Amino acid sequence: MTAVLWPWAAGALRRAAGIAALLALASFILGPLLTLLLWAFAGTWLFPNLWPEFSLRWWTYVLGNADVEKAIRMSLMSAPTATLISAVICIPAAYAFARLEFPAKRVLLLSFLSANAFPKIGLYVSIATLLYRLDLMDTFTGVVLIQLVNTLLFMIWIPTGTFRGINRNLEEAARDAGAGPLRTFFQITLPIALPGIIVAGLFAFIAAFDEAQGTLIVGTPNHMTMPVLMYNLVLSYPQPVGAVFSILLSLPSLVLLLLAQRYLRAGYLAAGYSL
Amino acid sequence: MTGTGLDPHAATPVPRRREGLRQGALGLALVLPPLLVLAFLVALPAVTAVIETLTPAGGGGPTLANYARVLGARTLRADIVFSVGITLVSVAVVFALSYPLALYLRFSRGRAARVLGVLFVVPLFVPVVIASFAMITFLVNHGFVSTLLYQAGVRAFPRLVYNGTGIVLTQVWVNIPFAVLILGAGLQAIDDALIDGARDVGAGPLRTFASIILPLNAVPTMIALTLLFIGVFGSFTIPYLVGGNAPAMLGVTMTNYLTQYLQRAQAVTIAVLAFLIASVVGVVYVASVSRRERGAR
Repeated sequence: MTAVLWPWAAGALRRAAGIAALLALASFILGPLLTLLLWAFAGTWLFPNLWPEFSLRWWTYVLGNADVEKAIRMSLMSAPTATLISAVICIPAAYAFARLEFPAKRVLLLSFLSANAFPKIGLYVSIATLLYRLDLMDTFTGVVLIQLVNTLLFMIWIPTGTFRGINRNLEEAARDAGAGPLRTFFQITLPIALPGIIVAGLFAFIAAFDEAQGTLIVGTPNHMTMPVLMYNLVLSYPQPVGAVFSILLSLPSLVLLLLAQRYLRAGYLAAGYSL
Repeated sequence: MTGTGLDPHAATPVPRRREGLRQGALGLALVLPPLLVLAFLVALPAVTAVIETLTPAGGGGPTLANYARVLGARTLRADIVFSVGITLVSVAVVFALSYPLALYLRFSRGRAARVLGVLFVVPLFVPVVIASFAMITFLVNHGFVSTLLYQAGVRAFPRLVYNGTGIVLTQVWVNIPFAVLILGAGLQAIDDALIDGARDVGAGPLRTFASIILPLNAVPTMIALTLLFIGVFGSFTIPYLVGGNAPAMLGVTMTNYLTQYLQRAQAVTIAVLAFLIASVVGVVYVASVSRRERGAR
């Protein structure tokens, strides 16, 4: 096993071990997804058959369902709202964390980890009891607030790292040339930081869009987003229904990932996690 | 160029007093909005939850009656033990798979490494609800794995889903990318020269790993382990969909108390207990991050 790890170890052994590991990991990671994909296009799939009978009939069933349509609308309204609010309040804060000196800066930056330092579901149960008192249960605001909790960490930490990495000399040169602080920020700092901010926005959107457990508690029965509806479909519908809906549910994140892939490849993904 | 601009990471060396005050005020004003959200959505609920659990239903002074009731129930004690056990096993398996993978990705340059490097991130972009459902279709009795086993002539299928095994397998699937990314980012920061140096003085791979890589990567390792523990321990979707009925993980138990049995006080009490158990590892996590933050500045 250790031979795998070292550049100076025997080449053939390393390659064989690498290929074995690759195959094992590939079937473990891709197997469930491919099974799901097959189910989405299966009319029926009886047990010992390796292949289903293909059919698109479950697609018409899912797409014609009123609950599905309502959930899609709810998701497409709430997740962008949460991401946008998060960006507006967090990006200036990230700039401050990266560039300005103020009291208790380190403690305040670390405090954003607190949402991660709790078991998520316990936090949602506590938030639910608070929203219950404020009469915000089963409201759009409640759903957006729950999603917002999940975006903060991405929107603070990734842009803070990005702003820190920008050379101060560029900003100072702009200031020396007579640009005000706001103009410098919008014309120099923000464009350079944009890839990092896009990645942060992407992670925040995916976190908000995929949030299921908190929204299940806070949004049922009238404000169900797509992932919340997914619970029902998994538990009480035939398998192809859940499979078709899974594909619908993965589409937005998938499209965004494809659009943003050049930023992800540029190492911002790892950068986000090295914070 | 002015003196303050020499090192972008250096703190501004005591600017004029007025400037410093202005900057401090501006900084605080800018970070205030997200902090208010955090206070309202994390701190306030946590504090009110604790207070609520200590307040008796009929009025009167603070009491531990809620905790006594929860801990007195045998099923709930079983759920706590089950949750901690499943979490420890999941974290151990994720870690045992992720560390070698992170090392392999760090030190190999072949095509297999490049493919693996793309492959292992896939689960990161699959919502947990979908991941759980995909695992069910894959592992369930008469699912795809059963089909393959049947075609291979096996007639006895292991129970892989709707029990602890299912939860662990799905947690592993979901958490591998995250663990590899954190561990990998730490390994990336280790200078090749150190490793070559160890090799030059005759250290074998194991020795190099134990005395150079492991200690240098200690902080990311602690962060990965603690975040994994908290993440698995506080999960709901995976045990809800992939787990069995009883014993259940605490995430499922507290949600049931809240939404099915409509016993808010019990639900919150279980939540606070979960906070307490997780806070033990939470402290390690925050300490590790702040140690690295100090190093980064």
